[in-house]
Amino acid sequence: MTPSLPRIAASVAVPKAALQQVFENLRGEGFSLIGPTVRDGAVVLEEIDGMDDLPQGWVDEQNPGQYRLKKTRESQYFGCSVGPQSWKRYLHPPRLGLFSVEKSNGGWVFHTPKGPPPHYAFIGVHACDLAAIAVQDRVLIGSEFRDPQYAARREHVFILAANCGHATSSCFCTSMKTGPKVTGGFDLALTELPDIFLVEIGSEAGSEMMRGIQWEAATAFDLSRAGRVTQRAEKLISRQLQTDDLPELLYENLEHAHWDEVASRCLSCANCTMVCPTCFCTTVEDSTNLQGTASDRISVADSCFNRDFSHVHGGNIRPSIKSRYRQWLTHKLASWHDQFGSSGCVGCGRCITWCPVGIEITEEVNSIRAKAVR
Amino acid sequence: MTTASPTLEVPYPADPMLPRLATIRGIKPEAYGISTFSMAFVDPDERARYRFQPGQFNMLYLPGVGEVAISVSSDPGEPETLGHTVRYAGNVTRAIGRLKPGDVLGVRGPYGSHWPAISRPGTNVVIVAGGIGLAPLRPVILSVLRHRDDYGRVLLLYGARTPADLLYTGEFDKWREGNIDLHVTVDLADENWRGQVGVVPQLFYRVRMDHKNTIVMTCGPEIMMRFVIYEALARRIPKDRIYISMERNMKCAVGFCGHCQFGPTFICKQGPVLNFAAIEPFFGREDF
Amino acid sequence: MAEQAHWFGSFLADLSPRAQEKLLALGENFQYPEGETIFHEGDPSLHLYVVKTGQVAIEVHIPSKGRRTIMTAGPGDLFSWSALVEPRIETASARATQATEAFGVKGGLLMDLCREDPEFGFELYRALAEVISSRLIATRLQLIDVFA
Repeated sequence: MTPSLPRIAASVAVPKAALQQVFENLRGEGFSLIGPTVRDGAVVLEEIDGMDDLPQGWVDEQNPGQYRLKKTRESQYFGCSVGPQSWKRYLHPPRLGLFSVEKSNGGWVFHTPKGPPPHYAFIGVHACDLAAIAVQDRVLIGSEFRDPQYAARREHVFILAANCGHATSSCFCTSMKTGPKVTGGFDLALTELPDIFLVEIGSEAGSEMMRGIQWEAATAFDLSRAGRVTQRAEKLISRQLQTDDLPELLYENLEHAHWDEVASRCLSCANCTMVCPTCFCTTVEDSTNLQGTASDRISVADSCFNRDFSHVHGGNIRPSIKSRYRQWLTHKLASWHDQFGSSGCVGCGRCITWCPVGIEITEEVNSIRAKAVR
Repeated sequence: MTTASPTLEVPYPADPMLPRLATIRGIKPEAYGISTFSMAFVDPDERARYRFQPGQFNMLYLPGVGEVAISVSSDPGEPETLGHTVRYAGNVTRAIGRLKPGDVLGVRGPYGSHWPAISRPGTNVVIVAGGIGLAPLRPVILSVLRHRDDYGRVLLLYGARTPADLLYTGEFDKWREGNIDLHVTVDLADENWRGQVGVVPQLFYRVRMDHKNTIVMTCGPEIMMRFVIYEALARRIPKDRIYISMERNMKCAVGFCGHCQFGPTFICKQGPVLNFAAIEPFFGREDF
Repeated sequence: MAEQAHWFGSFLADLSPRAQEKLLALGENFQYPEGETIFHEGDPSLHLYVVKTGQVAIEVHIPSKGRRTIMTAGPGDLFSWSALVEPRIETASARATQATEAFGVKGGLLMDLCREDPEFGFELYRALAEVISSRLIATRLQLIDVFA
C-alpha cells in the first residue's frame, strides 16, 4: 500500500535511512542538495549526494577563537552546531554577476543574468540560521527595494531544518530568542533521536518530499523524547546576552572607554563579518575586455572592517579600528532595530569562534554595560 | 531615530541595479575641475516619465569604470534634460570628464530624500552652501524663483575656497533679480577679488534673520555645515527647521550594499537630505 | 537707537544700554572713500573701529606677493581692537573696498573710562573677548581649508 502524504503541521516518525529517500525525492524535483559535510577540519556547507556525506558521528567544540571537530562513537548525523559557513553563501553569494554591457552599433546593450535561478534544498538548517535567513529577507526583499536575484533564489529554496541537541560555548540563541528549537519558516524540520527522525511537516512542498517513505504518526513518547533533545541543547547553552536595554545602551555609550580597549585587540580582519549569517554588505566590481567593447558588473561581498568601506573623496570616514569595530557592533545590535525592526544578531556564536583573537560580542556588550553612561 | 522627508516611489523596481541609457546633450565648465553635464534618457518614454525632487541624486555609470552618485542640479520643472554638476575627484568622475556631447552613459534614479517642500506660504528660506554643495541646492533656488510669491525672505549664503571655485556665477544676477538676497564669500582671495573674504558661516553676520517661520537648508563640507548649524542655532532657528545634505560612500543607492550608513540612517534612502533634529546625536561625532 | 541698531552687529548689541551710550558718546564717525587705507600694519593703534556701512578688507603684506586680503569686515563688524591690547600696534592693514562709514573710539579714552568705571570695563572686555573668539574660530576654519 503506498503511504499517503502526511499533512501540514503533522509530526511523523521515520527510520533514519528514510532521509535518503527524501534526498532522492528532492533531487527528482530538480533540487541541488546543500548540506553539512566535513572538509579541512570543519563542517562546511556544500553540495552533497546523500546521507553518507553528512558529518555522522562528528561533534564540534567551539570557544572564542577556537574550533575543533571530534569523531565520536555516536551515530548522529546532525550532531554538530554551526560551522564557519552559513546559508548566505547560496542565497546571497559572495560573487554574483549583476549584468554585462555590450557596445554595438554605436549603442549599448545590457544583458541581465539569464536562465532559471538555482533550486537549492538546504539540509540541516539550525534554528539560529533559519532566523538569520529571515533577517536577511527583511534587508534584501522586505525593504523599499527588492534584490531580484536574492528573491528568485529564496523563492525556490527548500528548507529541511534540524533541531539542535547539542550546543557549544559560543552559542547564545536563547538570549536572542531564535532557538534552539525551530518554530517556523521550514518545509521539513527534523529532530534526531537515536533510532528515528521525528519530522515536522512545515509546508505542502515538505509533505510532497515524504513521498514513498514509510512514516508513522509520532507517538506522545516520541514527542517527549524530541522535546528532551532541544532541552538538552538549551541546558548546554551557558553564554548570555542581555538584550532588554539594547539598542539604547549602545546609542548612549558611543564614546565609552571600552571601545578603545576592544580596538587594541581587534585586527580588523573581517572574519566576523564573513562568518556572520546576517552580514550583507557588498561592493561592486567593474571589469572590461581589452577592446573596451564588453564589460561586466559584479557584486562582491564586502565588510565594514575594510578600510576603504567608508571611503569618500579625501579619505575614510572611519580610519581607526575602534571606529570600525564600533560601527559593526552598533549596527548589529542597535541600528539594525531602527532599520529593519529586529536585532541583526541571531546568537549563532560564529563571530566568537572565528575571531582570531577571541573577541566575544557578549562580553563586549557586558563591559560597556558595566560602566555605562545613563 | 529615522528622519527627514519620505522617499518617493521606487524607480525601476524590477531590477534596481540596472542603469538606463542617456545621451550627453551639453557640457558647461563651471569652475576649476568642475563641469555640469546635461543629459537626456535615450528612451522617449523614460525621458517623458522621469521626475525628481530637489536634493535627490542619480547614479551615473560608465561600463568597465564604475558608478558614482551625483545630485541633480538642474530645474525640476524641466526634467526631460537632467543636469549633473560633477567635480573630477576619482576614477569615475574623471572618466565622465572625458565624455563629449553625443556620448552615452548609464543613469539610474532618482534616489534619496529631498529638501523639504515648503507648505506654509510666506516661509523664510535660508540657503547656505559651500563649494560644490551649491549643486544639490540649485534646484531649490530654481523652484523658488518659479514661485517666488509663495516664500517670504529668501537668503542665499554661498562661499568657495577661491573665486575660481565659485559655481554658477553667471546666474547670480538673475537670482538677485528674482529677489533672492545673495551673499558671496571666499576663503582665500586673489588679487582681483573685491568681494567678501572669510568662511561661509561668517556670512550669518551680514544678515539678520527671523527665527520664526524660517527654514535653513545647508550643503557643503561637513565641518562647514557644523558651524553653519551653530550660527543658525545661535539665531534661535529651531533644530527641526534645519536641513543638511550628507555624503557617504555609495555602491548601490538602494540600501543593499551597506556602505552609506550613518548610524541607523541609510544616506541613500533616508538621506541625503536629513533633518538636523533627527540626526543630532550622531552628527559631528568623530569617525562615526 | 533703532536707527543705529542695524550696524551694531553682535559686538555693540552685547553691551548693556548704559554701556552702549557711554561708548557711543566717546567716539565719532569716520568716512572713507573706496580704496582708502584706514591704517597700515605696524602703525600705532589709536582707535577701536566698527563698520557702520560698506566693507573693509583686512590685509597682510607678503614680500614679493603684495597685499593679501585675509578677511573682510562688514556692517556691525569690529575690525581693530589692537588699541586695547598691548603693545597697541596694528597687526594688519585695513582698506575700504567700498565707500565706508566707520565708528571709531580713541583707545586712550576707552582705557581711561574702563579705569574710572570698572563695570563698563568688564562689559567692554567681555564683549571684546566674544568677538575675538568668534574671529579665531572663523580663522581656524580658513586654516583647515575645508574645501581642499
